[in-house]
Parts: sequence; structure tokens; C-alpha cells
Amino acid sequence: MEIELTRRAETVNELLARYGVKFGIYKNNEFKEQLFPFDTIPRIIKKEEFAYLEKGLKQRVMALNCFIRDVYGDRKIIRDKVVPEEFVYISSGYLAPCDGVVPPRGIYTHIAGIDLVQGKDGSWYVLEDNLRVPSGASYPMIAREICRKSSPGTFEEYHVEDNRDYAKLLRWTMDYVNTGGHTVILTPGRYNAAYFEHSYFAEKTGAHLATGRELTVEDDYLYFVDYSGRREKVGAVYRRISDEYLDPMTFNEESVIGIPHIYDVYRKGHVALLNAPGNGVADDKGIYYFVPKMVRYYLGEEPILQNAPTYLPYYEEDMQYVLEHFDDLVLKDVAEAGGYGVVFANKMTAGQKEDFIALLKREPRRFIAQEVIDFKDIDIVENAKRVPRKADLRAFVLMVDEPVVWKSGLTRFSRNPDSFIVNSSQGGGFKDTWVLSQ
Amino acid sequence: MGIISVENMDRLFWLGRYSERVYTSARLFADSFDRMIDMDMDNYAVFCSRLDIPNIYGSKEDFCERYITDEEDPNSIYSNLMRAYDNAIVLRNEIGSEPITYIQLSVYDMKKSRVMRAPLVGLQKVEDDILAFWGIVDDMIEDENMRNIIKVGKRVERLDLYGRLQMNRESIVREVHRLTGRIARTNLRYDEKNLKELKKLAEEEQIDYDRVVALADTLRKD
Repeated sequence: MEIELTRRAETVNELLARYGVKFGIYKNNEFKEQLFPFDTIPRIIKKEEFAYLEKGLKQRVMALNCFIRDVYGDRKIIRDKVVPEEFVYISSGYLAPCDGVVPPRGIYTHIAGIDLVQGKDGSWYVLEDNLRVPSGASYPMIAREICRKSSPGTFEEYHVEDNRDYAKLLRWTMDYVNTGGHTVILTPGRYNAAYFEHSYFAEKTGAHLATGRELTVEDDYLYFVDYSGRREKVGAVYRRISDEYLDPMTFNEESVIGIPHIYDVYRKGHVALLNAPGNGVADDKGIYYFVPKMVRYYLGEEPILQNAPTYLPYYEEDMQYVLEHFDDLVLKDVAEAGGYGVVFANKMTAGQKEDFIALLKREPRRFIAQEVIDFKDIDIVENAKRVPRKADLRAFVLMVDEPVVWKSGLTRFSRNPDSFIVNSSQGGGFKDTWVLSQ
Repeated sequence: MGIISVENMDRLFWLGRYSERVYTSARLFADSFDRMIDMDMDNYAVFCSRLDIPNIYGSKEDFCERYITDEEDPNSIYSNLMRAYDNAIVLRNEIGSEPITYIQLSVYDMKKSRVMRAPLVGLQKVEDDILAFWGIVDDMIEDENMRNIIKVGKRVERLDLYGRLQMNRESIVREVHRLTGRIARTNLRYDEKNLKELKKLAEEEQIDYDRVVALADTLRKD
């Protein structure tokens, strides 16, 4: 099947360049902006298949939200020994100042990015939950706009769910928890890898884009300070900076991009922070192992979506398995992200293996091991030829009165034929994700 | 009017200034380049002196190459364009994606002009992009204050450049009038005494160019 759009690749890429669809990257301590390589062959998900994913994603995010509320509240799941205490409290994402703090409307996971892969047999697996500041929705959103412009005939022929409503969904999510006042997207600034996305969302949602310098706390409220010195109350902050840099008075005192005392305002319920600080406790790669158990525990349901088969060397039985099947596994450092800290055992030299196993035995909590899933390849066009490449899918789930799954997603692919790593920071590209409406 | 921070008000102003600097210096370069082809090979020295930029160029060829596209030369047209870009890229929320695309296009066109043997053809495209940018500023930026701040930046820069180049009296008078009408329609803080003096200077037979430049550059109080 050839889609007309693929013949318009040059036009599409010219327009993406014109609109500055870029991401930032630091190389040798120097900031560079790069165009995010786009491939016009879309990932196509049939209506029924997406309905299944949608159900599973909603269920998963509901359970994760319950988990975070519980961990910073009654801790029932720990008392009932479903999740071991030590896994929670030694997680770098667990933040003690969040104990007992309930965010507006009890929502923690406002915007979740769930990374999935499809095996060769068609089964979907969740690879990772991103509940802090997941990025990437802006890329398929603007790519769709440009693809429709470049090849209108394609969208006459195929019945694809419109994904350009993401800004509306995001605005709804922000307004739903707004405590009264302006809505702000907080960015670390121009030299952040995802700055394009921050500014694009601000434009499309009508929120104000601000850096920490433009916001101030006074009398337990957060204000945006305009050019004349006038203060305008802020009711919701979609913050695109990490927890530790959010408030130097509560978290990392060396942060110069945060807002002093913003966490106090949040604690008092005077502003909503999206996503809630402390969510890292639930998207820790170690905690991931327990998500199916959370679904059963909180919702009393069987998980619809499955994890990739995962082992925790922390458990003796799992350690044994990992040592016996070492060469078949991929090892992940739970503290790393962005495709870093991921090693395929079969690519290690004998010496590296020996060193790694010693490290694993010394720090078993630091790693998880997973079976290598043979992803279903997706075609991309390279040098005018269709070639297969590994790809994942980041699905976005936004939480309002109930979770809403965006009918699209970011499909990232590896440009290296021998690699499973799809991250943009490591040279990956992206595709649009079509969800068929018929 | 939407809320706008001091930082972004400043960026709007400088976006106006740098985009104008690129446009006018490209046009001035075009005039000078034409003379340098076969009439006055050393005209670049006069050009540098009038624009008050250091003459670091070893020859006509060196000047033509570096003054247009050298990333390392802080006075090159390219460097000024990148300053316009740096201001534009952080104003997406204020001015929208569409106007920014024209600044982005001018960056691409400038880069393409590096490999051209006829630099004016490449620069013409950059000028077209900047003109389109101003057109879209008028057409698409609904907030009058924001629109006018960009234009005040443009007018201040033009007055500065025209003053340095000692352009004819009519040009200076026209720019002073345009600036006076525009700045009053913004929320920028400016020195009314300076503006009054500018207007007075424009009425005189002999223009005091140095004073015009000094007043234009110190007009803003923020």
C-alpha cells in the first residue's frame, strides 16, 4: 500500500523546517538545535486495536494515580506488602515533602506519556510510564497539520482521527484543576531540549509561557509579574521543569530556574502544579514491575496491558534468573532516562559482563532486567528506499474527571538498523500515528 | 491586551531593531557592493567607518564574504539576523508561529547565500523574508501594543542607522515623525525630553547626526 503522502516527503520536511520543528541537544557542552527527522509513512492503528489500547491505558493511569495518592497518604499498598517499602523510599523519585499533600481534585498524573512497543505477534507491551514531564505530543500534532497541507488527498482517502485537538485537551486538563487565575506553562527557557514544545503548547492553548523569573510568590499566592509591575494571580502551572528544580526552598537549593516558595503555595491548595511533584516515585523503572499488581490492588481488575517481562535482581529468585539468562536480557539503570543506562547483555565483552555482574550484585536495587522484545519493525524511507526499523509509541493520557487518551501519539524510530534505541537525543526520528476512525 | 513580562517587552523591541538592522544593512551593502565591483574596490572601508564598525577585513573579497555570513563576526549581517532569531524564537507565545517562520526562512536563505557567487541574489531573498515578516506582523499580531513595540524597535534602529550614515534631511524627518506617532501608541516607558529634542532637531536646516543617534539610542527608559 502506498500512501500519497509519502510522495510529498520533501514538501513536508521543508515545511517542518520552516516551522522550526526542532529539539535542543548539548554536544561537547554546546547547545545545538536540530530538526527532528520525520518520516512520512505513518504508524497506523486500527479503530478496534486503539479501543483496546485506550481501555488499557486508562486503567493503567488510574492505578498509577491511586498509587501516588496512597504512597503520599495512607500507604496502604505498603502496609499490605504489595509493594515493598524499600522500593518506595529509596526511589529517587520519592519526595518526602510531598507526604500528606493532596493536589487540587486529587489528580497527580495530569499528563502521562506511556511508552509501548508492539511485538512481532502483534501484542502490545508497556515499556515505561512517564509521569513527570513527558514530552513529544507537539511533534505529531504539528506534523499532522503540515501533512494535511502537503497532501490533502491522503486525508480524503483515509479516515484518520484528527489529532489536532491535543491543545484543547491540554487546556481542559489545566483548567480542570485551576484554582483561580491565569494558566502558565513554566519553561526552563530557550536552551531546554523541548523548548519548541513548550512555546508551541503555550501558543496553541492560549496559556502564558513563563520562566521562573517572571513568577513570584507573595502572601501564599503565585503571581505573574507583567512589564508594569502589575501582579496577576496564577491558578495552574504546567511546569516543564523537573521536581528538584521547581522550588529551591523545598527541593534543590541550587536551582536558579525555579520559583522560591511555589511549593508552599501548592501545599496550601492555592495553585495546581501539573504534573504533581513527587510523581517520580511511580515511574521509577523499579516500581514499573509492580504496576500490574497496582491495577489488581486498587481497581480489582486484571491488567489489560502487559509489562515487558521484567525481573528485579533485588529478589533472590529474579537475581538467579538474571544470572542464568544474562545474555538474553537487557539491563536498565533505574535512575537513567532518555535511552541512557540501557545495556544489552549480548553486546558486552566478557570483561564487561564480569564487571557488570559484580555491580549488579553490589547494587541489585539499581537495575531491572527485561527480556528483549523483538519489536515489530516499521518501514521508513531512507535514500528513497523503504527499510524496516525499530519503533515505539508514546501514548498520551490526560486526566480530567476521568482519563482521556489522545487519539494519536508519538511514534519514534531508530535510524540505526541495529539499534533498539529510539530516543531523539540519540539520533532517532519520529512518525505521525494515525488512529483510524472507521 | 494580554499580560506581558518586562523581558518579553524587551525582546519585542529588540526583534524590531535587529530585523531592521538586517534589512537596512543588507540594502546598504548592496549599494556598496555594486560600487566595489568595478568602480571603487576599497569602498568597504568607507562603509565600515560610516556604520561605525571596525574594519577588520583584509580585502574587498574578505569583506564581502565575512560581513554577510560570518558567524564569528559580531557585526556581520548573519550575526544580527541570529540576534533577531534569538528574540523571535522565545516570542512564539506572544506573536505566534506564523511570523516566526519568516525569520526562520531568512536564516535558511542567509545560509544558502554562503555558497553563492552573486551575494546580492541571496541577500535579496533575506530582504524579502524580512519584508514578509513585517507584513505578517501587521496582519496577524492582534495585540496593538505588541505590534507597536516591534515597530518602535524598527523605527529606533532605522533612525540610528540613518543618523550614522548621515542620510538626507527628509529621510531623518520622516523617521522621526514615524517614531513619534508609533511610540505614543505603546506602553513603553520613554524619555519625553529626548523625543521632544529629536523632533526639534528634525526641524533644523542642518541635522546634528551624532545627536540624533545618541537620542534614538537612549529614548527608552526601561
